[in-house]
Order: sequence, then structure tokens, then C-alpha cells
Amino acid sequence: MIASGHFLNYVILLLKGLGITLELSLGALVFGSLGGIVLGAMRGARWRPVRALAFLYVEAVRSIPFVILLFFVFYALPLALDIDIPPYPAAISALSLHCSAYMGEVVRSGIEAIPKGQWEAAQSLGLGYYRIMRHVVLPQALQVMIPPTIGVYVSTIKESSLASIIGFVELLGQGMAIRESNAGRSTADVLVAVAIGYFAICWSLSLLGRRLERRSAREVRPRVQPTAAAGLQPDAILPAGP
Amino acid sequence: MAGLYDFNLRVLVPYLPVLGLGALKTLEISALAILISFPLGLLGALMRVSGSRLARAIGTGYVEAVRNVPLLVVLYVLFYALPANGIRLDAFTAGVIGLAINSTAFTIEIFRGGFAAIPAWQYEAAGALGLPRWPLLRLVVVPQVFRVVLPSLGNQIVSVVLGSAQASIIGVGELTYQTQSIGSATFRYFELFTIAALFYILCVQVIAAIWRLVSGRSARAPLGI
Repeated sequence: MIASGHFLNYVILLLKGLGITLELSLGALVFGSLGGIVLGAMRGARWRPVRALAFLYVEAVRSIPFVILLFFVFYALPLALDIDIPPYPAAISALSLHCSAYMGEVVRSGIEAIPKGQWEAAQSLGLGYYRIMRHVVLPQALQVMIPPTIGVYVSTIKESSLASIIGFVELLGQGMAIRESNAGRSTADVLVAVAIGYFAICWSLSLLGRRLERRSAREVRPRVQPTAAAGLQPDAILPAGP
Repeated sequence: MAGLYDFNLRVLVPYLPVLGLGALKTLEISALAILISFPLGLLGALMRVSGSRLARAIGTGYVEAVRNVPLLVVLYVLFYALPANGIRLDAFTAGVIGLAINSTAFTIEIFRGGFAAIPAWQYEAAGALGLPRWPLLRLVVVPQVFRVVLPSLGNQIVSVVLGSAQASIIGVGELTYQTQSIGSATFRYFELFTIAALFYILCVQVIAAIWRLVSGRSARAPLGI
């Protein structure tokens, strides 16, 4: 058990670690989203090699364990390029690469959720590709994309725990450092505290994601897939029961 | 040497048997975790759709707890925290159990989705025919559930294989562990991680191909729902 005098110190250290975990993952999500937008656009390109390149990238990154990607950036790239890559840049670039592949899929399926009829309607109104994207497709696609993006953020937060093995001190790294400073006596307590930290943020984000998903299912679907006017539906015509 | 990196695979030839054994270990640990987690996942999903409120709460609590904590934390708890409380697991056992704990949560969700895809009228119709709850599940619902969840189970096998790389961190001598330890001896990290990456990509492709073969017939048959 942790000596009670140090307890508050440890809690503060772990909370700091939690903050670093959130920051690291958010940074990776931002870079990953930028990459995802590029990949999503490439997947819809007219030129086939561009589509193939984006497809291969997404498939390859999703078929490699994140540990390998991280080790590659941290151990192999410095040797190959003859540069020094400290843990933080290594962690955030590996996480961003990982994240971009998943965001590429989110962007692609978000754009595909908008029916072809809308493209055709907008084209027949004389709008070009850019204006259709900007004014018709993206505003709707973005709303569809928000819940899965939160899902990607949650899994990025979980993957970011691996940054601790290349020596970057985030939440899990902080926990293991405390464990070490106690000569392993407080291992169970510290690990449970770390687990609670991850659970608290990931679970609340998941709940938020699920709630937004339900809302966008209610709001977006009717606009995306227009149904018959409510007055014409049989239920509305039938007289109400007693 | 300045300029281009000297990509050299020949240095690694003596280490090929070790890499091969590591790859086998990767497959072994993944297969064990899958064999444990798939039946448990079905069991957990049955709990989540059961009439008992307690069983539903346990199932939901387990899924939420495990899905929102990193696999590495679970592995550390098994490998570092349990010995402090008198339960000593070797790295391989801790790795298999950790992966199985993680995979079970995701498998429960997959099967639960399958149960949700079976329309309520099938339960009512089977009930009207006088089928009690257990035969109803076994004869009517579960066979259809399997057809619904087959593609997702294939994805789950892939994510267990990818997750098994994290077992290297607690010292399981699988492929990622071997690449790292050979790397620290030869400094051929670039070549080693490229080989490892290609192995995992190949694994994923082979699993996908086998899975298409396995689920091919049932995927082509019309689904009665």
C-alpha cells in the first residue's frame, strides 16, 4: 500500500500523466485527421494509381501492429536517416501515422454515406466538384463522421500507452515510474489507478460518441435519405385509436 | 557511411531460425487467445441478452471495463501486480490470459450485435410453436447469429494477432520480441522491423483469405432475416 503521506503527490503525478496522454493523443488525432482527409480524398480520386496508393497505405498500416510502427520510427528511422528522434516526436509521429489510416476510412465512409443522387442533383444545377464538396457533401458528411472520429480518439488514447515503452512518460509511464520509485511495493495500487484514469476518459468519450451517433442517426438520415412526406404515410391517415 | 542506408539482409541469415520460432510463437499465443475468447464471448453475449438483470449487468460491466482500458495495462496487471499478491504467472500465460481478457470483451459485443440482428418475431413465432427458451436459442437463433457475425469474427482474429505483438513487452518470445532482441545485437533494426511488418501483413492477408473460404458458403446463402 502507498504510504499515505505520498498519496497526494502520486495522485498529482498521475493526473499530470493523464493530461500528457490526452495531449499526445489529441495531437495525433489532429495530424491523423489531416492525413485522413488527404487519404479520403485520394480514395475518391478519378485517377486509379492515386486510389490504389491510398488503399495500400490504409491496408498496410492497419495490418501492422502499432508496436512495430512505433519501434520502426524510434529505432529504425534514426539509423536509416542518421538523425536523432527523441521519444516524444517518435510517439506522436507513429500515433499520427496509425491514426491517419483509420481516419482515412472514417472520411471515406462519411463521404460515401451521402447518396449519389445528391451529387447528380448538384451537378445538374451546374455546381463543380469543389463547390459540391464544400456546400453539399461535407456539411452532411462531417456530422456522420463525428461519432467514428471519437471512436478513433478513444483507440488512439489506448494505443498511446505504448509510448511508455520507448521512454515517454505519459499516464502509464508515470505509473511505472512511481512503481519503480517504490521498489515495486505499490504495483497493484498504481496500476489500478492508471487503469481507472484510462477508463474514466475513454468511457466518457465512448458515451459521448454513442449519444452523438444516436442524434446524428435521427437528424442526418431524414436529410440524407428523403422519405415520403409525413402526411402521406398510412399511419398518419388512419384514425387514432380510442 | 554518409548517403543512402545500406539495406543488408545477409547479416540476418543466421537469425532466421529464431525469427521463425518467434513467428510460430505469435501464431500460438494468438490461437490460444482466440480459442479461449470466442466461446467466452458467446457466453457473455448470452448473458447480455438473458432475462436475468444481474447477468446483463455483469456482461455490460465487463465489456465496458475492458474495452476502455489499454491492453498493455491489462498485461502489466497480470504480469507485475498479480505476483505482488501471490499469484505468479509466467510471461506466456500472462500474455495469453491478457489477450483473451481483451478479446473476450470485443467478441461479446460482436455476438451481441448478432443477437440484436435477429428480429423479435422469430422469438415470438418459435415461442408460439411451443419451443422452450434453450432449444429456441440453440436451434433458431444461434445458427443465424453465427452467419451474421462471421465477418466481424474474422476481423477480431486479425486484431488478436496484431495485439499479440504487445506481449513482447512483458517478455513473451514472439516475433516482435525476437526482432527487438536481434536488433539490439546487430543494429539491423530497419531490416528487422521491415521483415516483421511484412510477416504481419502476410498473416492478415492469409487470415482474410482463409476466412473468406470458411465463411464463403454461408455468406452466399440468402439470410432469412
